[in-house]
Amino acid sequence: MKQTRIKKIGIHLLLIASVLIISLPVILALIISTQTEAQVLSYPPGLVPGTNMVNNYVSAWNSVNLGRMIINSTIIAFGVIIGKVTMSLLAAFAFTHFEFKGKNVLFGIILVTLLLPVPVRIVALFDVIRSMHWIDTYAGLIIPFWASATSIFILIQRFKTVPSELIDASKMDGCTPMQYFFKVLMPLTKSTIGALVVINFIYIWNQYLWPLMATNSKEMRVVQVGIKMLMSTESTNNWGIIMAGVIITMIPPLLVFIIMQESFMKGFALQSEK
Amino acid sequence: MKQSTFNNKYLPYVLLVPTFFILVVFLFYPAVETFRLSLFKIHPWTGAEKFAGLYNFIKIFTNGDYLRSFVLSAYFAIVVIIAGLFFSLLIAILLNQKIKGMRFYRTFLIWPYALSPAIAGALFNFLFNPANGVLCYFTGFRTWLTDEKTAIIVVIIAAVWKNLGYNIIFYLTALRNVPVSALESASIDGAGPVKRFIYITFAYLSPTTFFLFVMNTIYAYFASFGLIDVLTQGGPAGSTKVLIYYLYKDFFVHSKIGYAAAESLVLFSLVVGVTVLQFRTAGKKVHYQ
Amino acid sequence: MKKLKMIVIAILITMILPIAVFAAGSADVEVDESATVSIEFWHAMSGARVDLIQGIVDKFMAENPNIKVDVQYTGSYNDTLNKVKSAYKAGNAPDVFHSYEIGTLGLINSGIISPLDQIAKKFNREIPWDDFFTPVQSYYKYQGDHYSMPFNSSTPLIFYNKTFFEKAGLDPDNPPKTYEDIRAAAVKLQAAGYKTPVTWNLHSWYFEQMICLQDAPFVNDKNGRSGKLPTEVVFNGEAGQNVLNWWVGMEKDGLFLDVGPGWSNHRAAFGSGEVAIVMSSSSDVNRLTEALADKGWEMGTGYIPRPAGAKGGVAIGGGSLWMTNNHTPEEELAALKLITYISEDESQIAWHKGTGYFPVRKTAMDQLKSEGWFDENPNYLTAFNQLLDSPETLNTSGGLLGIFPEARELIQSAIQEMYAGKPVKQALDEAAAKANASIAEWNEVIQ
Repeated sequence: MKQTRIKKIGIHLLLIASVLIISLPVILALIISTQTEAQVLSYPPGLVPGTNMVNNYVSAWNSVNLGRMIINSTIIAFGVIIGKVTMSLLAAFAFTHFEFKGKNVLFGIILVTLLLPVPVRIVALFDVIRSMHWIDTYAGLIIPFWASATSIFILIQRFKTVPSELIDASKMDGCTPMQYFFKVLMPLTKSTIGALVVINFIYIWNQYLWPLMATNSKEMRVVQVGIKMLMSTESTNNWGIIMAGVIITMIPPLLVFIIMQESFMKGFALQSEK
Repeated sequence: MKQSTFNNKYLPYVLLVPTFFILVVFLFYPAVETFRLSLFKIHPWTGAEKFAGLYNFIKIFTNGDYLRSFVLSAYFAIVVIIAGLFFSLLIAILLNQKIKGMRFYRTFLIWPYALSPAIAGALFNFLFNPANGVLCYFTGFRTWLTDEKTAIIVVIIAAVWKNLGYNIIFYLTALRNVPVSALESASIDGAGPVKRFIYITFAYLSPTTFFLFVMNTIYAYFASFGLIDVLTQGGPAGSTKVLIYYLYKDFFVHSKIGYAAAESLVLFSLVVGVTVLQFRTAGKKVHYQ
Repeated sequence: MKKLKMIVIAILITMILPIAVFAAGSADVEVDESATVSIEFWHAMSGARVDLIQGIVDKFMAENPNIKVDVQYTGSYNDTLNKVKSAYKAGNAPDVFHSYEIGTLGLINSGIISPLDQIAKKFNREIPWDDFFTPVQSYYKYQGDHYSMPFNSSTPLIFYNKTFFEKAGLDPDNPPKTYEDIRAAAVKLQAAGYKTPVTWNLHSWYFEQMICLQDAPFVNDKNGRSGKLPTEVVFNGEAGQNVLNWWVGMEKDGLFLDVGPGWSNHRAAFGSGEVAIVMSSSSDVNRLTEALADKGWEMGTGYIPRPAGAKGGVAIGGGSLWMTNNHTPEEELAALKLITYISEDESQIAWHKGTGYFPVRKTAMDQLKSEGWFDENPNYLTAFNQLLDSPETLNTSGGLLGIFPEARELIQSAIQEMYAGKPVKQALDEAAAKANASIAEWNEVIQ
């Protein structure tokens, strides 16, 4: 018993140490977000929380209308998540539970798109979106991201671990593939879907280049453009305000993670019900 | 041991239509269009095209700085991948224990992942900049970012740090999905915790490890330009100028459109090659059931 | 006889009248000035400046109720330029956009802009360029025409800690003026306990400016202003070597602190008291004065340094406002009015007070003087005087180059190599060679 207790204390200590090391830069951001401009610029660096917290946070919120941007980014993120997860589930299902002609070729094509990062295609993509009159619309910010090799790949890895017995049993029960999909496969995939929600939320939340290119109006601005707006190119940055903005805009993705934690932290029993 | 499948002939194609439609219109077509541009010299403003054949490619491969960047990027990728997977697995194992307060620990170990690359760069600048960097003060060295040998190390640390959360999320999910029964039967067979980990857990983690290997490769090669732009701008003296940063600059700042298009085709081919290699070698060893 | 006279007069009238009408008509485009018109203005000024600019634009709209201006912050200079490019190809570029000064030659050759003076002539309005500070307007003048309106102009300036100067036995009211002066001051400061007393951020701008101060060009073909595209850089010539031999020499001798690129570090080092002499943008006057005052120190300013005997001037840096060429005459006139309004003293004084950038006209300086502004802010006076004391030559107007952003990167990288040990001339020559190769490419594509 004592051994387990020591073990547990040891693990706590390790975890706390890890949290401190990993959180160091973020803690720094928190501290800076409370400081005035002069306090930020001191050397040795001021590691004590400053006096300007309320001002900084209020300034950050008001000066670029962070509220509107948070709403925009959230709408776009969920728009992408719903479409992407749905399409990826269907595609991954097709690849793992069926044999069909051209399967490997099609899979290869999807894999290849993994390797086409945004900077490579952004200018040409802009032309496509423009010709569809989707500039400055949610559609232009959401729909291009509905297909994702990453999500399909993740789901394929997950689906492949489903034991054949389950599939055979369903077939024997006379289930159509879509019935199997909804009744058997989906419950098993909850944890992976949870992970996908978090990953995609953060991905969209942190986008800068594409939203900058694809929108013009203030109403359509997203969070990262807003943070950039707080920074000046040549002039001194007021890091207190910028970090306040950073902390504020970190909260929604963290919230999403906290909420989704429960779903993807649940393991599953291999012996599933018949 | 192949998995069972359903017998429908047309359903799989139907299931794939939405994805392929989006892929073709919004990913493939723009990418192919960009690659096409690599054969031309392009006017930075009007987009007027002058056919140039392989000219851009020849320029790439005779450019000493670019070739240096090849080597640098490979070094960067290898360290980022290995360090990333190693540390995130360690942390995931720690997080998989049955102790109180897990939710708290989990959140505050992955939260760097929620930051944008530019902000991560800004924070690391605060830590390492020569004028008032916090860690410069504590380590006594000011030259972290201004010395060619150490700047890349700072960039690597920042890149690994930022992506830890992503890796941890997947490793945690995978650890949770390791069947208890397999561990129990190994335990009954007399295997200690280390042996259990190596033979059972790690095997069940192999799909995830493989997946993360590929994703971290992509991350290392494609995602770091935002961070580098804020932290070192490719300096000092090109020591942190990885291929994607080169590309980003040539495309978006210098408007060398045809040349940058060629760079993107080269980079794309490189990563395709690496990925195919990964699939051929490790892919076979991945254990699914 | 009478009939012949009449005929001659008639002929003369029929000859002169059309010329008169034609001459007037070619400068006067028919525009209904009371019609409502909507224009777009994209700029790259972030932070508190977004509101400042909105304020100026709001006042303009109040005075011109038929003109509606949609003003947007569209990212950094670079992001803004990319957006303009994409938008122009799509057919809906903004009427007015903001560009950095080093984009000038590129924009002149882009085919997407209308030169400002030509638009002014088209609508028969004159911009009083003689009222403008010489360096401010000469930068954007090319082959006789001003292409864009200077907007946010600054020059580098020397800032020094007067309190520290006293401690080191230096005259606090006599800033160092030459390379030798700065070196000597640095040595004395070092002896007084300030380990590495001089710094500025690693930016090619200072290098370029210190070449202008020696009345030397940056590129060939009349500093890029001859009407032909420049084919070679000349920054690796004697003037450039002078600058870097001194600059890098100080770094090697431990007198100069390498704080890397970016605009924060050198200000932090100055504000914290780590260095006693810093070079930075003239728009930093108030910020740095306050930073030092916070710690009880007094700040002084001086002209940026030159080798003894050099007789040049400073060029301005910053950005300007350009007009795109795919709009209706109504929109063009509205854009012209907006741009002119922004350059007028009222807007410029507000802009100067809010940001530290120079107001573009000398008349604004007179007004500020009469308000007592320079009595309250004597350090600004140094910056203004540096402008006034700069002669207008092709060299002090600033070099024009299509690949300027790349040239800057090459220079900055070269300086880093020099810090690491490479000889100045070699690194500069290598950078120049790379730049020339890029220039050749650019010239070929742009024609």
